[in-house]
Amino acid sequence: MAEAVDITELYAAHRLSLVRLAILLVDDLASAEDVVQDAFAALTRRPGAIKDPSKALAYLRVSVVNASRSALRRRRTARAYSPPHDTAPPTPEDTAVLAEEHRQVIVALHTLAPRQREVLVLRYWSNLSEAEIAAALQISQGTVKSTASRALVALEKAMTTHMSSGTDGKEQR
Amino acid sequence: MSTDIEARLRDALAARADLVRPEDLEPLAPVVELRPRLSRQSPWVLLATAAVVLLVLGIVFQGVGGRERSDRLAPEPDEKIELQLPTDVGRDWKADDISTPARLDLDGDGTKEKVVFLGEPTKNFDGRTRLQTTLSSTGQEAFGIAELGTTIGTSALPPIDADGDGDQELVLLRDEAYSGPVTGGFPIVFDLRDGLLVEAVPDEPGLLIRGELVEEGSATEYYDKVRVGDFWIEDGTLHSSRSVASYARGAEMRFSPKAYVVDAWTWTLDDNGALRHGETECLVQSYDSTRECGLDPTDTFTYLPPERASYVGLGETVDLTDEAGYGFTARIEADADPSLVVNGFGASIRQPLEVPQPMLGTVQPTSIFFDGASLVITSATDPSVVQVFTQNDDRMVLMDPVGEIDLAADDGQQTWLTDNGAVLSALPADDGAWELWQWVMVSRTEIAALPWATVCIDDVDDPTAITAC
Repeated sequence: MAEAVDITELYAAHRLSLVRLAILLVDDLASAEDVVQDAFAALTRRPGAIKDPSKALAYLRVSVVNASRSALRRRRTARAYSPPHDTAPPTPEDTAVLAEEHRQVIVALHTLAPRQREVLVLRYWSNLSEAEIAAALQISQGTVKSTASRALVALEKAMTTHMSSGTDGKEQR
Repeated sequence: MSTDIEARLRDALAARADLVRPEDLEPLAPVVELRPRLSRQSPWVLLATAAVVLLVLGIVFQGVGGRERSDRLAPEPDEKIELQLPTDVGRDWKADDISTPARLDLDGDGTKEKVVFLGEPTKNFDGRTRLQTTLSSTGQEAFGIAELGTTIGTSALPPIDADGDGDQELVLLRDEAYSGPVTGGFPIVFDLRDGLLVEAVPDEPGLLIRGELVEEGSATEYYDKVRVGDFWIEDGTLHSSRSVASYARGAEMRFSPKAYVVDAWTWTLDDNGALRHGETECLVQSYDSTRECGLDPTDTFTYLPPERASYVGLGETVDLTDEAGYGFTARIEADADPSLVVNGFGASIRQPLEVPQPMLGTVQPTSIFFDGASLVITSATDPSVVQVFTQNDDRMVLMDPVGEIDLAADDGQQTWLTDNGAVLSALPADDGAWELWQWVMVSRTEIAALPWATVCIDDVDDPTAITAC
């Protein structure tokens, strides 16, 4: 039971931050919540996966990143994709509007390749070190460095393109 | 790197994340309402105590644990793969006139590199190919070595981004004789790693093969059975497939349905340079389309045998010449014993028939033989008789049926000539179904039947009324 209590505490302590991480990767709240739910579900099925409790959050973070990537891949490959939660009534989160200056960045962020987006989010929102990002994404530190560098260039280019085109599609919420 | 863009990114991420507030999160639902996915419409309130949360969490996790996709969540242990780094050879090799350089963004800087293909000079043009480019991001040269089966006319397939890192991987086709009528081969993926174009290592290379893959133990004297493999690139992603069923192949023909069910995979590249296939998906493929499977996917025999050909009797002439006069005429004559008389292809042939009251098919069985005259004979008094003749210079040869089934239409077997020139046999199988076979020429004097499909025949007296079971 001690493991279950730990998971419960983890859930209570980190659910919100993990959903916030996921929404930066998948960009809709329902999918983000599903991703986090799946991460915890996976953890309960593998109680021995975390030998060091201090690494539980890191483990969950990896699960969230992987699950987010899978969710995006499923979206991309589904030919007739329709969001699974599109019939839901708007929540308070849905109606909160992002400031224009931030919205441009987020729109540009979602034009990047998945790994580029993951590296930027883990670095500039989760504030992870290159070594921690490397461990989370199971890539080398060198790859983290080069991916981040290229991702920033691509992000800036995407923002420039976006601004010069004068149109952005739908409003970011 | 701009510090301004970093600051803007940091602020935007924080602002976007902060839009999600604790009260926005879906409340935990009572056990009886739990579903595989959290519902946006759930009206239930948050459970207050940690003990209750613990109880619910335990059941939530148990409930979602059976979902297949969650199994992918936990990081998998790294598997050891051995990448082969290219040897720096072939700087003096030349590109041939019909090779086309590839243009793709290997280093992910938004600018496409030009990759040229330099062929190793060998007598049979079957040497290695040097892939060579200058990276736009660094100005440094990058190269790789490929073995493509030929150095003639090298060109790249569309690039992919199999690892989702924003740069592109080069895909080349390795020509292999995996097939008869289908162009064979498999894709080779090259990823830029530490300044080199390194060949990715597939975890199951066989699943990437395009062509006909012989099913082990299926070979008979006149045919074997093959599964149909294919690969394709769509929206920068590599996919492959293999037919679930196997189909008879013989006499340079393959008897597959118009649309068939396949297992399909999407391929991704991991950080170790391994090309890994994803979960098996179900698709229905035809020569011009691909769609997802329905609830009960089955092969589609939309190309069903057309109408039964008609026959004529003594004295009537069958004219099988085309508008240009190419072809032949045939008729059955009887002075004492009946004979088949054929005129055409530079010959006038009289072939005695040992068939009571012979009838002559009005369609040439071109699926058996078309490089000269060919005909089907049956009997007005004995419908079990079916004979096939083919022209060999100045004589008509009675073809000898060999293989697993008889040509004769008896013992419940139906054999008929279709009006598009095929000779088919249907044998009763289990559960009221029929096994459909088609006859092909296997030697200058022999024909054999190849299995085609299991079908249902609505009217035994009219075997052309065929449907998929």
